[in-house]
Amino acid sequence: MINKIIDRFEIKRLKTLTKSEETYRKNCLDIFNRLGLPSKRDEDWKFSDVNEIFSKNFNKFNFESVKSKNQNVEFIKDLEHNYILVSNGEVVSSDFKYEDKDKINLTQFKNEDFSKKNENNSLIYLNHALSEKGYSLNINKDYKFKKVLVIYNYFSSELNENFLNIRNKIKLSKNSELHIINFIIVSSSKKFFSNTYEETVLEESAVLKNIYLQDNVNDGYFHKFARYKLSKRSNYSSHIFPSGPKFNKFDLEYDLSGDESECKIIAATFLDQNDHQEIKTKVNHLAPNCKSYQKVKKVVSGESKGVYQGKIYVKDIAQKTDAYQLSKAILLSENSEFDSKPELEIYADDVKCSHGSSSGSIDEESIYYLMSRGLNKIESTKLLVEGFLSESIDTIKSTAIKKFLQTKLTSQIK
Amino acid sequence: MKNQNFDQQKEYKYGFTTDIENVKAPKGLSEDTIKFISKVKKEPKWMLEWRLKAYERLKVSKEPNWQKPKFSKIDYQDLYYYSAPKSMKDKPKSLDEIDPKLIETYNKLGIPLNEQKKLSGVAVDAVFDSVSVATTYKEELTKKGIIFCPISEAIQKHPDLVKKYLGSVIPVTDHYFATLNSAVFTDGSFVYIPPNTKCPMELSTYFRINASETGQFERTLIIADKGSYVSYLEGCTAPMRDENQLHAANVELIALDDAEIKYSTVQNWYPGDSNGVGGIYNFVTKRGVCRGKNSKISWTQVETGSAITWKYPSCILQGDNSVGEFYSIAITNNHQKADTGTKMIHLGKNTRSKIISKGISAGKADNTYRGLVDIHRKATNSRNYTQCDSLLMGNKCGAHTVPYIKNKNSSSTIEHEATTSKINEDQLFYCNQRGLNQEEAVSLIVNGFCKDVLQQLPMEFAVEAQKLVGISLEGSVG
Repeated sequence: MINKIIDRFEIKRLKTLTKSEETYRKNCLDIFNRLGLPSKRDEDWKFSDVNEIFSKNFNKFNFESVKSKNQNVEFIKDLEHNYILVSNGEVVSSDFKYEDKDKINLTQFKNEDFSKKNENNSLIYLNHALSEKGYSLNINKDYKFKKVLVIYNYFSSELNENFLNIRNKIKLSKNSELHIINFIIVSSSKKFFSNTYEETVLEESAVLKNIYLQDNVNDGYFHKFARYKLSKRSNYSSHIFPSGPKFNKFDLEYDLSGDESECKIIAATFLDQNDHQEIKTKVNHLAPNCKSYQKVKKVVSGESKGVYQGKIYVKDIAQKTDAYQLSKAILLSENSEFDSKPELEIYADDVKCSHGSSSGSIDEESIYYLMSRGLNKIESTKLLVEGFLSESIDTIKSTAIKKFLQTKLTSQIK
Repeated sequence: MKNQNFDQQKEYKYGFTTDIENVKAPKGLSEDTIKFISKVKKEPKWMLEWRLKAYERLKVSKEPNWQKPKFSKIDYQDLYYYSAPKSMKDKPKSLDEIDPKLIETYNKLGIPLNEQKKLSGVAVDAVFDSVSVATTYKEELTKKGIIFCPISEAIQKHPDLVKKYLGSVIPVTDHYFATLNSAVFTDGSFVYIPPNTKCPMELSTYFRINASETGQFERTLIIADKGSYVSYLEGCTAPMRDENQLHAANVELIALDDAEIKYSTVQNWYPGDSNGVGGIYNFVTKRGVCRGKNSKISWTQVETGSAITWKYPSCILQGDNSVGEFYSIAITNNHQKADTGTKMIHLGKNTRSKIISKGISAGKADNTYRGLVDIHRKATNSRNYTQCDSLLMGNKCGAHTVPYIKNKNSSSTIEHEATTSKINEDQLFYCNQRGLNQEEAVSLIVNGFCKDVLQQLPMEFAVEAQKLVGISLEGSVG
């Protein structure tokens, strides 16, 4: 059983804190201690009871930071790319060899905003109270990246029941453009918890494309809260392919606060064994003429559980909004489960908003068709699942990236 | 009588009050009030004990607060829990003995209590405040073995049936308002359809809140025995008052093997005036269980009234091959708030459910669809189809969709789709061009939008409902 109250000593352990920062962190910790770990009694955690999951799997909170001795990271071949190597949340090395280095600013994350915020998620308070590591990336005005940037997020083998609180910030100035591949690599065979808070700001007409990829099976527990602020005519698109960890929850919030901004979220996952994965999105249409598109596909097998909670919020002034949301799931085994809550909250009348959600078994007729052509049942199922998930890569333009993702996605399907 | 705004009567034509001498229970909620109700109803001891058990539970439970519309605090001690026309104290034996004022009230509402004059072929149970005033067509139904009577009568005459089924779908330990109802329910209808019987006519209950500072707590229990069929209609109105009145009803449906229950509601409680003052708080618990194989429960509702509506008619699909259906139209205008939807809980094999929900929001109103589809591990080959469409008129209102979808069975399929849009300008233009004015055009288009649900209603109701759809939206466009 885990002790749920965290001592203020954990903050004292952090070095070089200014007075105001220390007070801020203490306040955040007090709030976390009051709220406790999220449980199914919280509406947003109805399908993922972290309190229960942690009580079962962890004995204590261990917030000590871990330095890894060597990073055993295999870089992506056949793809020209810049990279940042992050080990247990800390930037270890970086290389922007294809870019103009003056236009890019990469530093250790430093929080300067100590204002009080109202968050619904207690893990954000925990993060703000105890985060030590993380990066801040700034792209200058009008600079467009020539090659993709791969951020290798490495979790080292030294991790053993550690709780990492990581805080990142990405800012794209006016008219800049960046493509990122966030690649998660886990080397630890033990349990650990990674709690990330990430803020992304897109200034006017900025473009950000983000691919999140995680593919090796591990005992990690991941929670990521990310907030995106989109200004006028900015464009954000993301592809999320998370597979492998025991527990994974994405809590993603998008503020379309500038006219004609657009965001697109596409996710595809294969879940196995007793994996538990949730994607929760909230898209806030706060200005007119914005567009949002969401498509989440999941295949659940073994005793795994997939969850999708998506919410589209349209403010009264956000006329001419075009919002779309779709979730689809295939249940492959008797003990798998898929839950979804696609929500609409709309206060403007001249809008086009729709959502769809479906879940069910794999199409028997298609299986029959393939088997009658000589494939066995396992092969047929695999082929159909692959087709179902691969559709999500279709919208990626770069053939090299597409090819790389296709191999990764295929290897996930068991 | 509190100050009433007579100018508003045009908009809500059922807003009149009937001046009738009332017998009321002492004000407030207490053990004495419950004992009073039980005594007036000449209830057996077990019934009083059942009520008191609910009251004990009520003391420790809290009002739910997860719904979207928030309401001003209800002072439960400032309500009358029982109010009956004085002339009803000694129950009239025939319609001739009923207070003519009451008959007049129901005539005004268009509810025929006088069997001779009646053409429509619908058996009616009329509930006025806390008591049932008249039940028509009793004899004809009795011949077939059908029991259709006020629930207070059923408690005395058919205690075995009531004991067996009351609270078996909505237990006394359910949420706050359901528990409140269990403690203080006053009247409502009881229906029992014997095996292999098709009820020859529509059964109908008409609810009317008349007295001020009262809450209405009716309880309806419908049992369809093996192989039987019944179609039941429910309508309701209330006078215009600038206070908020509470209506917390419980409805329980039980369908045994091969039985079918069709339950239709046209809810037209007073919605409050155009500034959001007054109106009924309609906090209703409706739940049906398909206990037997091949049974079917179908809910149809047209919700146009009430200041706040919380209502989630549900189906527990327990028997194999059972079917649950939910058709709903919820219209909100001015300051009305509706949070309504359904729950389909699939437990048996090959169970099927269908949800069609149409929400229309105008003025400064808020309309929420909230639903749950839960397919359990053993419910193999089950299927659900859900469609929720919302229509918005103006940018001061809101339309929300909150579906919870849970699938634990790999051979079952769930499909859900939802859209939100506004009235198509082209369609409006087309109607205007052909000589319809703006309001007629809107009414026509909205009726078309709701067609899937309206056609599920029995004929007599469908006509009324269609008119109601038009009236509810008057003044919302232009």
